[in-house]
Amino acid sequence: MASRKETAPTTSAVVASTTGTLDSPVKQIQIEGLVVLKIIKHYQEEGQGSEVVQGVLLGLVVEDRLEITNCFPFPQHTEDDADFDEVQYQMEMMRSLRHVNIDHLHVGWYQSTFYGSFVSRALLDSQFSYQHAIEESVVLIYDPIKTAQGSLSLKAYRLTPKLMEICKEKDFTHECLKKANIGFEHMFEEVPIIIKNSHLINVLLWELEDKSTVADKHELLNLSSSNHLEKSLQLLMDRVDDMSQDIVKYNTYSRNLSKQQQQKHQYVQRRQQENTQRQSRGEPPLPEEDISKMFKPPQPPPRMDTLLIAGQVNNYCQNVKEFTSQNLGKLFMAEALQGHN
Amino acid sequence: MKIRDMAKCLEEFEQLCRAFLKSKNIVDKEGVPSFYIRLLADLEDYLNQLWEDKEGKKKMNKNNAKALSTLRQKIRKYNRDYETEVAAYKENPQESADEEEEKEQGDSGSSSDSDGEEGDEVSATSFLKKKPEPAPEANKFLKSAKGSGDESSSSDDDEDGEDWGSDTVDSGSESSDDGEGKGASLALVFLKKTQESEKSSEKKVSKKKKPKKKERLEEEEGGEEGEEGEGGWEKVKGGAPLVKEKPKMFAKGTEINTVVVLKKLNEILQARGKKGTDRAAQIELLHALANISAENNLGIGILVKIKFNIIASLYDYNPNLAAFMKADMWKKCLECIDELLDILFENNNIFIGENIAEDSESLSISDQPFRVRGCVLTLVERMDEEFTKIMQNTDPHSQEYVDNLKDEGHVCGIIDRLLDYLENKGSTEEICRIYLRRIMHTYYKFDYKAHRRSLGLQGESKSEQDQEESEGEDSAVIMDRLCKFIYAKDRTDRIRTCAILCHIYHHALHSRWYQARDLMLMSHLQDNIQHADPPVQILYNRTMVQLGICAFRQGMIKDAHNALLDIQSSGRAKELLGQGLLMRNMQERNAEQEKIEKRRQVPFHMHINLELLECVYLVSAMLLEIPYMAAHEFDARRRMISKQFHHQLRVGERQPLLGPPESMREHVVAASKAMKMGDWRTCHSFIINEKMNSKVWDLFPETQRVREMLVRKIQEESLRTYLFTYSSVYDSISMATLSEMFELEIPMVHSIISKMIINEELMASLDQPTQTVVMHRTEPTSLQNMALQLAEKLGSLVENNERVFDLKQGVYGGYFNRDQKGGYQQKGGYQRDQKGGYQNKQGYNRGGYNRNHNQSNY
Repeated sequence: MASRKETAPTTSAVVASTTGTLDSPVKQIQIEGLVVLKIIKHYQEEGQGSEVVQGVLLGLVVEDRLEITNCFPFPQHTEDDADFDEVQYQMEMMRSLRHVNIDHLHVGWYQSTFYGSFVSRALLDSQFSYQHAIEESVVLIYDPIKTAQGSLSLKAYRLTPKLMEICKEKDFTHECLKKANIGFEHMFEEVPIIIKNSHLINVLLWELEDKSTVADKHELLNLSSSNHLEKSLQLLMDRVDDMSQDIVKYNTYSRNLSKQQQQKHQYVQRRQQENTQRQSRGEPPLPEEDISKMFKPPQPPPRMDTLLIAGQVNNYCQNVKEFTSQNLGKLFMAEALQGHN
Repeated sequence: MKIRDMAKCLEEFEQLCRAFLKSKNIVDKEGVPSFYIRLLADLEDYLNQLWEDKEGKKKMNKNNAKALSTLRQKIRKYNRDYETEVAAYKENPQESADEEEEKEQGDSGSSSDSDGEEGDEVSATSFLKKKPEPAPEANKFLKSAKGSGDESSSSDDDEDGEDWGSDTVDSGSESSDDGEGKGASLALVFLKKTQESEKSSEKKVSKKKKPKKKERLEEEEGGEEGEEGEGGWEKVKGGAPLVKEKPKMFAKGTEINTVVVLKKLNEILQARGKKGTDRAAQIELLHALANISAENNLGIGILVKIKFNIIASLYDYNPNLAAFMKADMWKKCLECIDELLDILFENNNIFIGENIAEDSESLSISDQPFRVRGCVLTLVERMDEEFTKIMQNTDPHSQEYVDNLKDEGHVCGIIDRLLDYLENKGSTEEICRIYLRRIMHTYYKFDYKAHRRSLGLQGESKSEQDQEESEGEDSAVIMDRLCKFIYAKDRTDRIRTCAILCHIYHHALHSRWYQARDLMLMSHLQDNIQHADPPVQILYNRTMVQLGICAFRQGMIKDAHNALLDIQSSGRAKELLGQGLLMRNMQERNAEQEKIEKRRQVPFHMHINLELLECVYLVSAMLLEIPYMAAHEFDARRRMISKQFHHQLRVGERQPLLGPPESMREHVVAASKAMKMGDWRTCHSFIINEKMNSKVWDLFPETQRVREMLVRKIQEESLRTYLFTYSSVYDSISMATLSEMFELEIPMVHSIISKMIINEELMASLDQPTQTVVMHRTEPTSLQNMALQLAEKLGSLVENNERVFDLKQGVYGGYFNRDQKGGYQQKGGYQRDQKGGYQNKQGYNRGGYNRNHNQSNY
């Protein structure tokens, strides 16, 4: 536990490689250690297994840097309080926080994830609505499992402007996606994160580290891998299945489409022939009919889901790759140690 | 009409039209009756009037309004045909009405006349009978005559039409009733029609013509009598002696000889099947006749003939096919057949045949042999069917059923006797038929005597009667003899098919598995049974089930499973075996179908226990499926062996709270779970215990043997399951330990493991000196398995993706990709061969490759 927290501030910036130039108003995110601790605590207390915890991020924008200074969790949903008003709760919360002189500007939200499975429609939709309403808002993804293995995993994402446009139009046909030239890798952009600790937090962390046992501190060196890999593979497999289905769907669609095109073509040709015949006989040509009415094009399957799945698959793969490379290193280390002894 | 009941009106109108059509002939001759025209005209007027009355129409309910519009349209169309007449009537309604009235007067006169006449006739007949009880026919005639009289006198058109309609419909139904009988009612109908025609013609022509018409009617009546001389009127006369005392059947002093008796017999027989004939009385009458002929020594020929007829009329006693015989009738029938057979046995010089013509019969006592028309075989077959019917209609759990079942012996006796008789006299065809009957009564009975004898238990403590009984032939021998005869001689396919099936069933019932199986395979019935008629199919299903159960008893689990699969997987075992109807189908079939299906049901004493059947199926499925599941735990393409079994398992899993098993199914499910863990003792205790014994296992003839076999199978399969499930945990395991764990002998364990190794189900080798199994540990770990699965899935994904690509690129791309695909497959094959540590890596490689592929396609 403590070691985990300890690692967070010491690696003062967990920065993932950014995807080229960012043309968004936010170029960097600075997170208070308090926020990180709060998020971790929230998951520790409420999230179990694949359950996901969510909350609101508060802060403000300074130049091109988004400073997240505080956060509060969404309460867990239970069935019996279905009429719970979330918006009301948020407003209430923010008002209360303002009273105690805390930043009360809404700058995004955070969510925990299970083995990196967060690229979903729900996330897309809610992030879109956030970004639509508050331009600089981000989503923080916290991976508790990776964190439990010894390295804090916290990532900030924003939707790319291209995707924002598409979402605005609500048009997910493949043509539209093609026009926008958007692939799964262009859907989200990752924003670099800097964690800034106040002295008080540092003191707290030192204290915690003192308390923790040795075993806790060296979880980073854990050699067991199959469990994690199995889970990842399982999830990966499910996604691949989904993808397969989607492709089959798309396949039938395009086959139908081409069949219809053919029919249409034939029909037009027949029409033309008839008309030329009629002309040669001196009769008036047949009236033009609305071809598009006769041949209703088949409903194209929405491509957004496929895109999301692809993104998710990509994510899983990245996870597995990262994990295996780390583990491989560990294994070599262990071997060397053994040889040395 | 007054109450504007339009729906009713419409109905009546339609009936009227129908009636009119029926009397078309007469109408053609005589022209359209004016009363009919009047009615049409009035109706149209009334309808028009109603139609105009918008207020009233609104008030009408929906049904009526609809009927009104329909009726209006119809009558318009209808009246177009009679336009001129209607117009004429409308011009001068009064006149025709007057005319009508006049006519009616005359008519009623005439009808009362005829009424009187008929009354006379009736009284005459009743006089003849010397009994005030009027024959029902006469009665009816009287009634209808009166009815028609009434109708004609009624002046209300509406009423008129109505009555006519209903009357005609009545007579129609009557005539259809008597389709075969040509009873008096036919005459009735005809008479009525003539009356109708008479009336209609009367109404058209003037009064003068009436007497003539009357004559005609009488003529017709006369002609009728002439034509249908043997019909209704005859019946009344024939019926006359019916109520007399027996001795008075013939006039006193008449010399009773063959000819007279025959004539009488014919008379009686002609009444047969007619409506209103008192069947019981008829049977009595025939009995009396038999007695008379016996008293007067008229010879056996005539007696036989009468007996035939008695039995036939006994069968006729029930009006429809579905009803079954009453117990006393049935007893009588048995007796009669017995007697008949007695006579036939005593007298060798009687020829019986269906093909002996009525007039070439020789019944009188003379030197040449008797020739009698009739067929004993048919009678006996019919008797057998009646017996089945009785059994079908008796509550199987009542004492009555037991009593009825006691008659089975009697029936068998009769069949046996007839068999003896026909073996001497009958043609091969007939012999085949009677053989089949015999087989049908034998095949489903378990031959305890033969069974005991084969076990060598016979002798010691048995009573003499038992001894005597066991003298008889083994049923197996009998079956063999009869069936072989049929195979050799039969020409109709159906008898042979039935005989084969029964033979197989009998073999299977007596655990002669190989014979039964060979016969089944040789007969090739599986290929074409679906073309057979339903009773044969039911027999086939029964045979298959019996075969499966037999295989199970013999320990051929796989065969048992295969044989039972078809029946069980449909979930309609009950229906397929003819042991009851499914409620589910109620809406799909109508009453008629249901009746037919009911008739096909197998009597209760021949039923196969459905629970036993299901249990056998489930247990064999368990013994096959559990090891299979254990062996292919990670195989994505694993097939279910038995859907039914999986269904039961799922049902078991869905239970929120697992109590101790109650039903047979729960027992099997619980046992399966135990077996999955390789815990054979628990499995054993679930399969074989008090409850299951009483429910299932005790139903087998060789209970102990079956149970032993089962225990053994459970041990073996549990061992296999154990090895599949836990082999990854062991480096090596000693066979002694295994044999101890599963209480199997070491050689047995050795053989099972060897078999598994040979079949490449278990990656291990046997170490002879230490008697241990050394695992090779080449089975992929779960992670590797997962990776393999993923690889497979990715493969299919790529294929799908390529198909999309194909579509875009056309033929060229397709060609290109097909090459590539071949490459993939080869790779896959390679992987499957080399089940080693490689796989993991390769799976990853492939995964990675595919990923790239996907990306590039996006």
